[in-house]
Amino acid sequence: MSETSQSVFADATQSVGDAIIELDHVDKFFGSFQALKDISLSVGRQEVVVVIGPSGSGKSTMIRCINRLDEHDNGRIVVDGIELSADVKNIQEIRRETGMVFQQFNLFPHLTVLDNITLAPRQVRRMPKKKAEEWGMELLEQVRIPEQAKKYPGQLSGGQQQRVAIARSLAMKPKVMLFDEPTSALDPEMIGEVLDTMKDLAKEGMTMIVVTHEMGFAREVADRVVFMADGQIVEVGTPEHFFTSPEEDRTKLFLSQIL
Amino acid sequence: MTTVSVTKPSALTWVRRNLFRTPLDAILTIVFGSLAVYVGIRGLLFVFVNGRWEIISVNLKLLMVGRWPADELIAIAVALVILGLWAGLIAGIIAGRQVRKGTSAIEGMTRLERASDLGRRFGLVIATLLLLLSLTDTSGPWLMVLFTFVGGVVGRLIGGQIGVRSLPSWVSRLGIVVMVVIPVWAYLYMASAVPLADWEGFLFNLSSAAAGVVLSFPLGLLLALGRRSKLKLLKGMSIAYIEAVRGAPLYVLLLLANVSLEFFVPAALAPSKVVRAIVTFTLFTAAYIAEIVRGGLQSVPLGQEEAAKALGLSPTKQMRLIVLPQALRNVIPAQIGQFISLFKDTTLAGLALGILDLLNAAGAITQQSDFRGQGLIIETLVFVGFLFWVGSFTMSRESQRLERKLGVGTR
Repeated sequence: MSETSQSVFADATQSVGDAIIELDHVDKFFGSFQALKDISLSVGRQEVVVVIGPSGSGKSTMIRCINRLDEHDNGRIVVDGIELSADVKNIQEIRRETGMVFQQFNLFPHLTVLDNITLAPRQVRRMPKKKAEEWGMELLEQVRIPEQAKKYPGQLSGGQQQRVAIARSLAMKPKVMLFDEPTSALDPEMIGEVLDTMKDLAKEGMTMIVVTHEMGFAREVADRVVFMADGQIVEVGTPEHFFTSPEEDRTKLFLSQIL
Repeated sequence: MTTVSVTKPSALTWVRRNLFRTPLDAILTIVFGSLAVYVGIRGLLFVFVNGRWEIISVNLKLLMVGRWPADELIAIAVALVILGLWAGLIAGIIAGRQVRKGTSAIEGMTRLERASDLGRRFGLVIATLLLLLSLTDTSGPWLMVLFTFVGGVVGRLIGGQIGVRSLPSWVSRLGIVVMVVIPVWAYLYMASAVPLADWEGFLFNLSSAAAGVVLSFPLGLLLALGRRSKLKLLKGMSIAYIEAVRGAPLYVLLLLANVSLEFFVPAALAPSKVVRAIVTFTLFTAAYIAEIVRGGLQSVPLGQEEAAKALGLSPTKQMRLIVLPQALRNVIPAQIGQFISLFKDTTLAGLALGILDLLNAAGAITQQSDFRGQGLIIETLVFVGFLFWVGSFTMSRESQRLERKLGVGTR
């Protein structure tokens, strides 16, 4: 990394205002393979951060460390003032405040759409059934598929399933939403409906970290774009800066490959 | 239904296509066809003409319930009627719940269709019961079956009413407890009339198989979870247990249960042979159930657990609400298969422990002075085999139905 980019990098990792997620010199190993190398990033409240980069660059691992689906080895991760440690209570608390949307949806196939959504509020927040179902229907309205409430996930299209998955995460009223390549498993004609739902969410002020290959979405919605390669954060900047005048050679190469 | 119309081939065309396509096909068809016809005719002749079935009708009580005292038979009747009511209640509640959820398969059916559906499911059992009843010369068994049937119908009607209602959760929890207690009570009630040690005949095979199923399932589940546990000791113990039990023939374990207990327990305190048989069945079947359930747990994608974690569910709830229901559903056929095995293997206990179960009783009656030396063992073995087949086949059919209902492989 050159001198100049170091300074840009240092500035850009700092979010505006008060940070809700902070990663501080985080390392992650899978055996002898280092998946994350000295990752530092801070995300402010209501900020939308889009993470891009070639496959195997550690994007997914980074956001999976934030809610402890993967365990980081060194460094600190703080979510809304709670530090992730081996303490199970802290982990549970952070998971309740972060929603996650997966590439493969991971809806529960043995439960109806509505039961998928109400499960966590009822089981974790102890919300009464009736109230949870009203809340679930409200969320289904929000993702625009209330008519599918009684169906099973297997009866829905991929795009509908992913919107249910988003509603399911929102049901816990999370402060942060993590999206792990939410449109990568979808047929092209269904990508739009999921991205629209995500845009709505961003407009409402949700804090979001989105791992995606959808450059259009990044350009339109992101406050900042993070480019990762080989387990490191290579470059961080506003979409405009990032797509028009990237500084790092690695970034330029990647952009030339995909754009 | 597709609208493409295909002219149905005539019977002759079908025969030519399927049975006589090539010279080899023709030869095979003729050879095995005549063999089948021969065996079929011999079988029918045996059943309806040559078979001397009076040995069965004379000894029917011995075959069914062994030497159960005649004046205590009322206990069996009472227990059966209660169990009929219980089974009806459960069937009714399940059906009612399906109506409420709009997933009922029978709601749109006419009465006739429903009856034929029931006939397909339980016709074989009903026919067998009628056959057995026709062999009796007293009215007791008729009344018992009649009242059990009435109990079942009454239970079904009441259960249907309960099922369609939305009940407060404490009521349904209490209801589940009651539903668990009823069969246990029936079992203990019968055991209070005649000690477990004296349960014989087909009653022994049925009741100890049922007890083995009920007890081995939770134990097998715990073993499966133990085998996946992160606690090294628990994991090691589970694996050791499963592999040790699966490595031994059931018959050997039953023989061991017969002789080895005296080494550890004074004879006066040693449990009866029936209890030993049930314990051995339970311990044996649990090891197999554990492996079946483990297979089921592995069949659930990792993403399911991750999604449950990400929602903040506790590890217990991740397992209980998300992973286990899917895992168990995926292995219903294998589980029922294991239970069918257990049902049939109860005959081994008769031999290993010297219990007068159905098979042993069937052998013993051929030694009665009226029947000795007449080769009637064929008739009795056919009878025993038939009863086990009816039970196993019915379980197998019900398991397929359950699979379809839960939509294994479709969603």
